[in-house]
Amino acid sequence: MSMPPLNDTFQDARESSGVLNCPFQGKEVAMILRHRDVRTAAKDWQTFSSDAPFRVPIPSEEKVRSVRQLPIETDPPLHTGLRKIVEPFFRRPRDPDFRARIERLIEGLVDEAIDSSEVETVHEFALPLQSRALSYLLNLPESEAEEWINWGVHVFRDGDGPAKGAQLDSYIQTQLDRAESKPGDDFFSALTQAEFDGHRLTREEMTGFANLTFAGGRDTVINTVVGVIAYFGETPHALDELRRHPEQLKSATEEFFRILSPLTHIGRVCPNSTHVHGAQVEANERVALTWASANHDSEVFEAPNEVRLDRKPNPHVAFGFGPHNCLGAHHARAILQSLLQTLIRKIHRIEILQSIPKIEVEDRYQRQNGYEILRVRLLPISTQN
Amino acid sequence: MPKVTLITPSKEKVILEDAIGTLMEAALDADVEGIDGDCGGVCSCSTCHVHVAPEWVERVGPPNDAEADTLEFDERTNSRSRLSCQIELKDELDGMVVEIPNSQ
Ligand code: HEM
Ligand code: FES
Repeated sequence: MSMPPLNDTFQDARESSGVLNCPFQGKEVAMILRHRDVRTAAKDWQTFSSDAPFRVPIPSEEKVRSVRQLPIETDPPLHTGLRKIVEPFFRRPRDPDFRARIERLIEGLVDEAIDSSEVETVHEFALPLQSRALSYLLNLPESEAEEWINWGVHVFRDGDGPAKGAQLDSYIQTQLDRAESKPGDDFFSALTQAEFDGHRLTREEMTGFANLTFAGGRDTVINTVVGVIAYFGETPHALDELRRHPEQLKSATEEFFRILSPLTHIGRVCPNSTHVHGAQVEANERVALTWASANHDSEVFEAPNEVRLDRKPNPHVAFGFGPHNCLGAHHARAILQSLLQTLIRKIHRIEILQSIPKIEVEDRYQRQNGYEILRVRLLPISTQN
Repeated sequence: MPKVTLITPSKEKVILEDAIGTLMEAALDADVEGIDGDCGGVCSCSTCHVHVAPEWVERVGPPNDAEADTLEFDERTNSRSRLSCQIELKDELDGMVVEIPNSQ
């Protein structure tokens, strides 16, 4: 993969002190790096709280959205009840019919890519894939996805931040109005009908759920899909190997989530001052749970920089850990498993034509977490016979 | 091939005849309540947690390292806990009984 040396940028700090103090928006944040420490902190919501509107993501997002995202920016026990409201939607990908639909979608996109002589996988493959798959998850007409595709790779950060956040917000309001007057079986209708603690959700709460649903699974899914295509482009024998061992599809899926770790880290706020490995964190300051670093911890993963598609066990934390673990994980897994399945069935080789990595640049670390552009040619199996 | 009995969180008894693969896989095939196997058996999700019946604990054996680490973070863990994706169904386990704790 063209990922090293950038992919495990945290190694030195993780092994020497366990913490990297990195400034974000002018303030130092203690990034927790070791697998065990990250899992411990993720479970300890009393010390490392999510009850902090706009401040769970780092950098914080008060400039790009106006609602508290739910259920992510709350702590138990409130969080537990809020999460239950949307859980049934996020479990839909466990249904075989749902999976079959995702597979047909991916097959269609792969066939299209084979037919055109080349495809830019970020915008012409992964973005439509992610958007259309989301319409299935939310049980909305697939045609809705065409508008979402126009929003670009990140709903807030692609170009003009605040303006984009407002665009998502007005879309959500339109959908909620529609759901209130003409409820159906879709996600927005479920929000307008949900009861919590004996009352209906407020409009602001509904917006908070919807906002996270659109923001959370977008660039993460896109970067994973494109990362997998890039990997097979650079490592052709791995595609043949997986073709010979289809029983490894699930472990391969998990290994891609581990090695790509599309969400580098996420924040927690400390209500009281505390220590993490000697780093002092003042009350109301933040720490970062650094999933991408934990996923390379050599205490847990043998040869952590190697992609081993049959890696087992693989206790990665790409989807987080503890009460907030990713609600979209079923969906992301369904997408990735179907993608791998389709690639080994149809694709002989992937030729990379142009590749521009997307690099997360912070004061104390840099990390590739995706691609701005990845242009490839997909060579189908049949033409090789 | 072993026959195994699972007691679901709602106390229903499910008997799997001729179960093969791991206990998690066999339970998923039979759609047993309380076993989700989200991560496909790589020890990262803990949605396949079981409590082995006391008389079977010794024969099933202790958790492996990665499994023990994952169990350590699960409130439902006791001295009979295993992740069922790490239990390979061998003939010696014929007759085994496990209980599935409530989901977290
Ligand atoms: C490869 C893709 C994905 C990755 C790597 C990922 C990663 C994560 C992580 C690390 C968390 C934990 C955040 C925390 O602890 O504060 C999380 C939470 C969440 N994710 Fe994902 N995610 C992905 C896809 C998705 C998708 C597709 C959706 C929705 C369609 C989604 C929706 C959510 C939601 C709603 C939460 C909050 C859960 C809660 O607070 O209880 N994610 N995700
Ligand atoms: S299936 Fe995920 S830990 Fe067993």
